[in-house]
This record gives sequence, structure tokens and C-alpha cells, in this order.
Amino acid sequence: MTRPFLSIRAVRKAFGAFVAVHDVTIDVPKGEFLTFLGPSGSGKSTTLYAIAGFQDPTAGDVLLEDKSLLSVPSHKRNIGMVFQRYTLFPHLSVAENVAFPLRVRRRPDAEVKRKVADMLALVRLEKFAERYPGALSGGQQQRVALARALAYDPPILLMDEPLSALDKKLRQEIQAEIRRIHRETGVTILYVTHDQEEALHLSDRIALFKEGRIEQIGTGEDLYLRPASEFVAGFIGNSNFLAAEHLETENGVALVRLADGSIVKGVKATHALGRGQKARLMVRPEAFRLTPMEGNAALAVEIVDTAFFGDRRRVVARTKSGDEIDVRPTSDTAEPGGADAASGRQIFFDPATAFLFPA
Amino acid sequence: MLLDYDRLGWLRAALAGFTALVAAFLLLPVVFIVLLSFGSSRWLAFPPPGWTLKWYQELLADPAWIDAALTSAKIAAMAAILAVLIGLLASFSLVRGEFRGRQFLRGLLLTPMVLPVVVFAIAIYAFFLRIGLAGTTIGFVIAHTILALPFAIVPIATALEGFDKSIEDAAIVCGASPLQARLRITLPSIRIGIFSAAIFSFLASWDEVVVAIFMASPTLQTLPVKIWGSLRADLSPVVAAASSLLVGLTLALMIVTALLRRRLSR
Amino acid sequence: MQAHSLSRGSVAGLPAGSGGALPALVLVGLFFVVPVVALLLRSVTDPEPGLQNYAALFGSGTYVRVFLNTFLVAAVVTVVTILVAFPVAWMLAIMPPALGSIVFGIIILSMWTNLLTRTYAWMVLLQRTGVINRALMGLGVIDEPLPLINNLTGVTIGMVYIMLPFMILPLVGTLRAIDPMTLRAAALCGASPLQAFRRILLPLSLPGIAAGGLMVFVMSLGYFVTPALLGGTSNTMLAEMIAQTVQSLLNWGLGSAAAFVLLAVTMVLYAIQLRMVGARRLAGGL
Repeated sequence: MTRPFLSIRAVRKAFGAFVAVHDVTIDVPKGEFLTFLGPSGSGKSTTLYAIAGFQDPTAGDVLLEDKSLLSVPSHKRNIGMVFQRYTLFPHLSVAENVAFPLRVRRRPDAEVKRKVADMLALVRLEKFAERYPGALSGGQQQRVALARALAYDPPILLMDEPLSALDKKLRQEIQAEIRRIHRETGVTILYVTHDQEEALHLSDRIALFKEGRIEQIGTGEDLYLRPASEFVAGFIGNSNFLAAEHLETENGVALVRLADGSIVKGVKATHALGRGQKARLMVRPEAFRLTPMEGNAALAVEIVDTAFFGDRRRVVARTKSGDEIDVRPTSDTAEPGGADAASGRQIFFDPATAFLFPA
Repeated sequence: MLLDYDRLGWLRAALAGFTALVAAFLLLPVVFIVLLSFGSSRWLAFPPPGWTLKWYQELLADPAWIDAALTSAKIAAMAAILAVLIGLLASFSLVRGEFRGRQFLRGLLLTPMVLPVVVFAIAIYAFFLRIGLAGTTIGFVIAHTILALPFAIVPIATALEGFDKSIEDAAIVCGASPLQARLRITLPSIRIGIFSAAIFSFLASWDEVVVAIFMASPTLQTLPVKIWGSLRADLSPVVAAASSLLVGLTLALMIVTALLRRRLSR
Repeated sequence: MQAHSLSRGSVAGLPAGSGGALPALVLVGLFFVVPVVALLLRSVTDPEPGLQNYAALFGSGTYVRVFLNTFLVAAVVTVVTILVAFPVAWMLAIMPPALGSIVFGIIILSMWTNLLTRTYAWMVLLQRTGVINRALMGLGVIDEPLPLINNLTGVTIGMVYIMLPFMILPLVGTLRAIDPMTLRAAALCGASPLQAFRRILLPLSLPGIAAGGLMVFVMSLGYFVTPALLGGTSNTMLAEMIAQTVQSLLNWGLGSAAAFVLLAVTMVLYAIQLRMVGARRLAGGL
């Protein structure tokens, strides 16, 4: 196995009695786009700050190409970073902002000039070189920050929720921009966000943080299709949780009883559960269908609300036991309600797409 | 609707009229003193019987006035430089520091602004008498630096609080050493605050009367002490001429401030 | 934001980030705290240990009258300043900026003009044969010149003049922070302009009025120059009396005791004000 490019080894950060990060270990190959995803306070930013050198970890080590970064002060780590807020230097023009890291490195003027032009071309702001940050929009400022962070060809680019101050449309625009720049430069990116859609859109791999630990690390597909825990299933994508009781597991397939007494067979058993153990069955909204197919499980519900969005339909249903379910069928467009609306009706799902977690 | 300028009705006329009156009240002494300085009446009759420049000639011919102005300028410049330097260092601690007693320290450093000057004046006067600094330029500068310090700390600390520290962090990640980041990024970003601090602390010393009255000696007089002495003796029009020059200086300072602020806050 | 710091390491065992305050602390400690404390000690040691200075201060009708007069002047100045400043601040808070900047310019010019210059102007303006008396007589409002100087009237006019900017400027901030929508809502609710003023605008601006008023009161209590030049001998204020006691009578013990009384009152009121608005707002208002 090749040695990892960046290695975060058992990093631990405690503030007094409070442990913000518990022994986080991640290996990052060169050129990867890795996202730290998680709710606020989950330790993702703290881990990033340890790499940037804003905070010293209590224990553990951060290695870049086998050399520890911890004893290197921030300004000598040669790391690029884009911050949550636009951290442009207000008294310097756009070009001078991008030139700043090169100037403190005392690079020759000709090189600085060339590099600044390259960088502004990369973020498509050539025309704004002489403007001051105050005259730029939020999106433009963040692109300048990106150009500044890449100007000195850092081996790693850290991004700390760089899009959180922008509105939704701009966010999507800059996401595309970031993907393009990652492709063109091949820089290794560590990206922090609490927005799962952003993480899915941008990353090669996602590390999902919970309470200072990595709950699961893998590609977006891994996390979405094979969530390791109820937390992951709930955090990535939309999900419905139904109270269930585990009856038995055979050949990796579980049999469960739902709260309304109905039996569901053919659920993948990813966790070892005891007979009669309380569990939670997770079904994605888009896994539900309004018309049954071969082998589908049926759920007796009452339709509470329905809304039509053109390409899809969204239905809010309520089970006999009172749980509200979010239903977004994609594969059929049948009207909910219909003939048997008065007596309640059934919705259907493929048990193989459901997940069973211990309660 | 009381806070909508366009919807105030008759009240707007009343408020505008009153505001104009107060503005006139505020302007009256300043304009009056300038007019008076050109009046030819030694007894300050107004409107004056004629116009003259003789009070200015008298003022500029008197070395005591020139000396006093130079002394004031020297002391104010030194006090302002010291107050801004010390205040700058203190502001970083007060705004960024994480230590017990930070709030107490902030209160302590701002106290000279609220303590009645007369109390400080006799206290420092007694103290300087004992250690031999009374009536010396150094003593003057020290006392005025204390009084100017809050006027330097307040604008600098306010500017520093409004400055996003991640900008400094960004500079450090870019490769600037912490000192370089402060000198090249943070200080230029808060320059309006530093500039205001310089103006305010200069004025705090330049206009200071009470401490100066106690500290002054026959050989060391500041401009306010000289004016004070003249006022107590008689209301000579020469004081009006000196005062008018001070008004001119204030106006010049205001214009420079406005222009610099406009240029700095690009 | 998470607390993090790039400037790690503290100066020689000092708590993090406190090093920069050291020069200021030394300066203020040595040349402010020490002299003031020494002065206060003098009030109980000079000419001999004991409380005789305070006994003299509170036992004598003359000094008690100075205290009462000081409070009276400060109170009158504060009330008049508030009454004059409020409408001006109100107008400044809402008027078009182009027009408002002229008024702001005048306020700044008045505030930055040398204190003695302004007081000198009032001395000339208010004297028996001064412009104001002559104008009033010319208009036939009065037959005899009014005594406008060397009395409470003179001190009040001169002090209000000096204090107005300190009241107007913070009050504009307070009034600007009030959402005009709340007053529109009050009007839609059926409140007449007077009711809207009494029940909405005034209560909402009260914190600003109280903070500014307290500041003006505290500043007036210890004011020296203006009362000394515009006031009369019959209504000497505390600061002037302290200066005279020390400078002319060389009675350091008594002067120190009076200074301590002034300092104590000031600090108590200052503490109240800090509690009311917080150190940041107070400092920001200046």
C-alpha cells in the first residue's frame, strides 16, 4: 500500500473537561476532495483548525508526506485556506490580495505578476484586478479568497464552510466553480460543511462527524446507500423512521413487526439484533410507491397532505400508530387517495431498500 | 409615523425650526469670536466701530503667545504619539486577550476620562511636586498622556472589535508571520481608528486647561494657560485673535479628518 | 465562532494576551492610581491623622452650600440639556443626510473648538454691555440689562452649550436604532401623534436619555473652567473650590477631602451608568 499523502493520526482535542475531538484518524490520498460533514459542534472545524495550526491537538499527530506538521507554525505550513467569512484584506486591491502570500514569500516581481494573472483567470475575475474588496459581491469576494489561497500552490487547501454566507443560487454557482478548480489544479482539498447536499455534490469522500468522532467515512454513495448507523441514515438524504420489533434473522435477511402489527420480511440485516429487540426501520421517501410491485411490503396509512411539484409528487401520510411519513414516489405518478381514500389506503416499498437499526 | 421624515406634518416644521435655532446657538460663539477679533474696539463693542488686523499683529508680535503655542504643540504631539502607541498595544490586549480581570483593566484604563480632571490635576501636581517633575515638560507629557489614553483606546479598540480576526488568520495561513500579519494587514485595516485616536488624543492635550494650570511654571506655559491668564486679567481682543486662530485650526483639522476618512474608507 | 488564536505563547508567565496592556498599566498605575490614592490618604493624614478635614467640610455652612450648589447646577444643566437635545437628536435621526451633515458639522465644530475660546465668547456675549443685552434692549424686550453672567444663568448657558454635543450624538444613535415601523404600527393601532410619542417613542428612547443625562450630570459635577469663568462668587462649584483650597489656601488636607467626596460621587454614578449601558456602549458613544 502506498503511503498516505496527508495523515491525521488519533487527533484528540480537549478544552478542559470537554473533549471536542476524540481520536480522529483519517488518511487522505493526494488530490482527493474530502469533506468533513456534521452538525455544528461535531468537531469537524476543530479537526480542520488542528491541520491549519490554529489549535494544537491535545494528542495525536498530523503528517504531511510523513513529516509532522504540529511543530510548524501556521505561517510556515504552506497550507491554503478559505474561511467562512470573506477574509480579504480590505485595504488591498484584488490583485494585491492574491499577491500577498507571494510577497511575504519574497518571490520575484515577474513571477508574482504572472501568478496573480493566472489565479485571477482561474477564478474568472481578471477584470476585477484593480477593484477593492468592498466593491465586490460576496460570491466574487469568496472567489478572490480562493485565488489567494491557491496562489502559492499549497499542497492542501482547507475550506471552512466557505459558502455559508452566500445565498442558495450563488452557492450552487460557486460549488460548480470549486469542482472545476479542483479538477484543473488537482489540489488536495479538505472541506468543512454542515450541508449534506453540498457535501454530496462536491466530495470524493465524506467523513461524517458526530460528537467529536467520525461516524462513517466513504463516498457519498456509501453513506447514502449503506449508512452505518441511524445517525448517518438520518443525516444524509431524507429518511423516515418506523418503530419496529426484530423477530428473527436468517441468512442475513430480517423479519420485523411494525408498530401497527404488520409484518415486513426481506429486510437486510446489517446489525446483529436479538429476538424481540426494539428496532427502527428506515425507509427513504423516494423508496415508497403508491402502486405495489412484486415483493413489496405494504403499509396502511391515511393521506394527510399532498403536493404536486411537476416532476414529482410529495405526500404526507400517517400510519395507524401515528407516525408521519414523508413519501416522494419517483417511479409512478398515480394519484394518492382515489377509490379507497375514504377507508385509508396503502403505500408500498421494497424491503430490500430499507435499513434496520437497533433502537 | 413619528420617525418618518415625510409624514411628520406640522411637527416637522417645528422640529426643523428648533434644530436650526440650536444649530445657530452652537455656531454663535464661534462666529462671534472670529468677527470680534477683527473689530477695532478695545472694549469689545459689537458691532465694532471699524475693522482692523491690529490684534493679530499684537498677538504675533508677542513672543509669550508664540512660545505658549509652540509649547502646547510640542506637548500635545508627544502625548498623542505616546497615547496612540501605548493605547494600540493595550487595545490588542483588551480586545483579543483572554485573561482574568480584562474588564477591570478596561474600566481602569478608561477611568481618567470620567474622573473629574480637577481631582487628577491636584493629585498629579502633589505627586510631581514630591518627585520633582512639577513644571517640567516631561511631567506635562506624562499627565497629558494619561488624560489622552482613553481617547486613544476607545477608537482603536472599537476599530479592532469591528475587524474580523479571521482576516489576520488568513494572512498567517498565507505565510505571513504573526507580526507581519499585524503590521501589514491588521494595522492598515484599523487605520481610521488609529487616525481618530491620534486626533482625539492630540486635542485632549492641546485643549487641556485644568492640569496645565497647576503644572505650569513661569517658564513653561501652554496656550490654554496663557489664555486663562488673559481671561482672568482682562478681556483683551488679543485673546479673540488667538481664539480665532484656534477656530481656524479646528476647522482645518475637521476638513483634513473628513478628507482622510473618505480616502481611507475606500 | 470558535475561540482560536494564532498568537500562541504568553509573555513571561503573564496570562495569554495581557502583555500588550503592560505599558498602559504601568503608566496608569504609577501616574494615576498612585497619585490619586496618595491624595485621598492625605485627606485623613494632613495636617494630622483623623477625620477633622471631613468634619470641617460637612460642618461648615460655606462648604455644604458649595455641595448643594454643585448638585443644583449639575441638575439644572442636565435637565435643560436633555430638553434641548432631544428634539435636535430626533430631527437629526430622520432628516435627509445631506442636510443633517451640515448640523453634524456645526456640532463637531462647536465640540472641537477650544473650551476656553467658547467660554471666552460667552463671557463677552453675556456681559452687561454685551451683544445679547444690547439686542434685547434694542428690541424693547427689556429696559435694564439682565444680569446674565457671574450667576447661575451664565453657568447654565455656558455649561449647556458645552454639554449639548455629548447628549445629542448618543441620542441620535438611540433614536436611529428604533424601527420606524413600530411607530407606523402605533399610528395604525389608532395612537395619536401625542400618544405615540408618550407611549412608544419616549419609552424606547429612555435608555439613551438616561445614559446621556447621567453622563452630562457626572461631567457637570466636576466641571471647573466654565463655572469659574461664568459663575459668580456666591455660587462657587465644587471643582473650583477644590482648586482654590489647594492653590490659594494651600490647605491640602481639606482640598483632598473635598476631592474624595467628588471622586466618590462620580464613581458611584459612573458605576450605575456602566451597569445601565455596559462599558462598550458607553465608550462607543463618545
